[in-house]
Amino acid sequence: MSASTRFAENAGLNESPTFPLRVVDGLSLPPDYRKALRPGEEWNDLNGFPRQLPRYFYEIPSWDSAMKVELATHFLLWEFIQVDVREAAPLRTFPRYVPCAITLLAVCLERFREAVGTLVHISANGGYRSPSHRFSKNATPHAWGTAANIYRIGDTYLDNRSAIERFSLIARETLPGIWTRPYGTPTGYAEDHLHLDLGYVLSVPRDVKS
Amino acid sequence: MTKREAPVLGATAITPRERTLRHQIEKIEKESGATAIAVALRDFESGLELHYHADRWFHAASTIKVPILLGVFAAIDRGELLPHSRVHVRNRFLSVVENIPFRVESGRDSNSAVHNAIGKMMRVDELAYHMITTSSNLATNLLLGVMGTDAVNETLKELHLDKGIELRRGVEDELAFEKRINNMVTADGLLRILVMLAEGKAFSPGLCRRMMDILHGQEFNQGIPARLPKVARVAHKTGEISTVAHDAGVVYLPKRKPYVLVILTEWDPAVAGRSRTIAAISHTIYEYLTLDPLDE
Repeated sequence: MSASTRFAENAGLNESPTFPLRVVDGLSLPPDYRKALRPGEEWNDLNGFPRQLPRYFYEIPSWDSAMKVELATHFLLWEFIQVDVREAAPLRTFPRYVPCAITLLAVCLERFREAVGTLVHISANGGYRSPSHRFSKNATPHAWGTAANIYRIGDTYLDNRSAIERFSLIARETLPGIWTRPYGTPTGYAEDHLHLDLGYVLSVPRDVKS
Repeated sequence: MTKREAPVLGATAITPRERTLRHQIEKIEKESGATAIAVALRDFESGLELHYHADRWFHAASTIKVPILLGVFAAIDRGELLPHSRVHVRNRFLSVVENIPFRVESGRDSNSAVHNAIGKMMRVDELAYHMITTSSNLATNLLLGVMGTDAVNETLKELHLDKGIELRRGVEDELAFEKRINNMVTADGLLRILVMLAEGKAFSPGLCRRMMDILHGQEFNQGIPARLPKVARVAHKTGEISTVAHDAGVVYLPKRKPYVLVILTEWDPAVAGRSRTIAAISHTIYEYLTLDPLDE
């Protein structure tokens, strides 16, 4: 029996028998998780517009499973959940939770990887991070699981205008609807990584009853 | 964290031998070409203290990393950090001048390990080790970024170690340097911290020992240890920029209690001989403390 099948049976899944993670309603989680994840709550973006946070999450039982679960051919789940000491304490231990839209981001990054023809490295704190993460000041798509900070592509570090703008252009040409942060130092710009995101996408899996 | 008594630096009557030691340091200072030298000493064996211009302020250079190390372990002591807590390695910091972003030049760090981890994570204890042993500026700013300057200053205050230490910013903040917003220390300020660490009184003895272990890993040994016998072990931190060169540490010798020594020096950028001068002062003090007076 493969590891993924075993996870699926344990989780009692689902529409997709090959996807091993259990879907959980964030509102049913213990209080310390709800406080950190704020499922379904509104959160204002930089311009003051309210955005609704994700309510449904995949439950990741262990680091071992995060190392095994493929979200796309070249992207494993662990690459999206590397957070440092600035993340809320309950969300640094397992089980951990990621918004269901993380799978959409992975598909986009896979397409991006095909376009650039080499490895795409997501930085620490640069995949999913919760609204309670110390970097999360306003509603950021990172808290929707739909944003990635990429610090290296192949052997190229994205820490200069030329590299960031080159790969930003490839991302926008390859992925319709993708948004990339412009190069620069002010708030809303980036000069040591490429930020790309799909916006505030909410994903509600079909088997969710409520 | 409970409040602890800061080490009291006493002023006792100067003996003729101590006067001789002061004269020897004065002589080294005059011959060195340094614009200023300060020395602070506490010998746990004899109880002797020396305070030679020890309340004069100097640009801290990398000796400020000792108070920052203290801040890291205070956060560990409070349970806010764990030694294995992970920190995102990112080379982007904000100057205290108008929050303008700056980076740490990789060529200025002698150890590439931290720079090689950009985009990834390193453990707090790994960063602390690199901050001290190879004086990694990137590691220093990352740790300070996690804790915040205010938290480190609060720790110094709680431990009554804030006198003689002014932590105002991270390292390599060139805009701040141009505006003369610098980290400053006195020899007595650093002495107080090292005395508390050597006595194992800053936090639990175990945590103090871990800090001392890190200081023992120092790889730059051209200062205090350079002219000591090979049996000497020195837990120390150096610091050097164009106008200052410092060394501050605890010297352990066989069959006697250790002594804490801080040597701060200031120079015209064109003048050489900094390490030689620090080593000479260290050697003079070593001889003074270990030589039997009857042998003189």
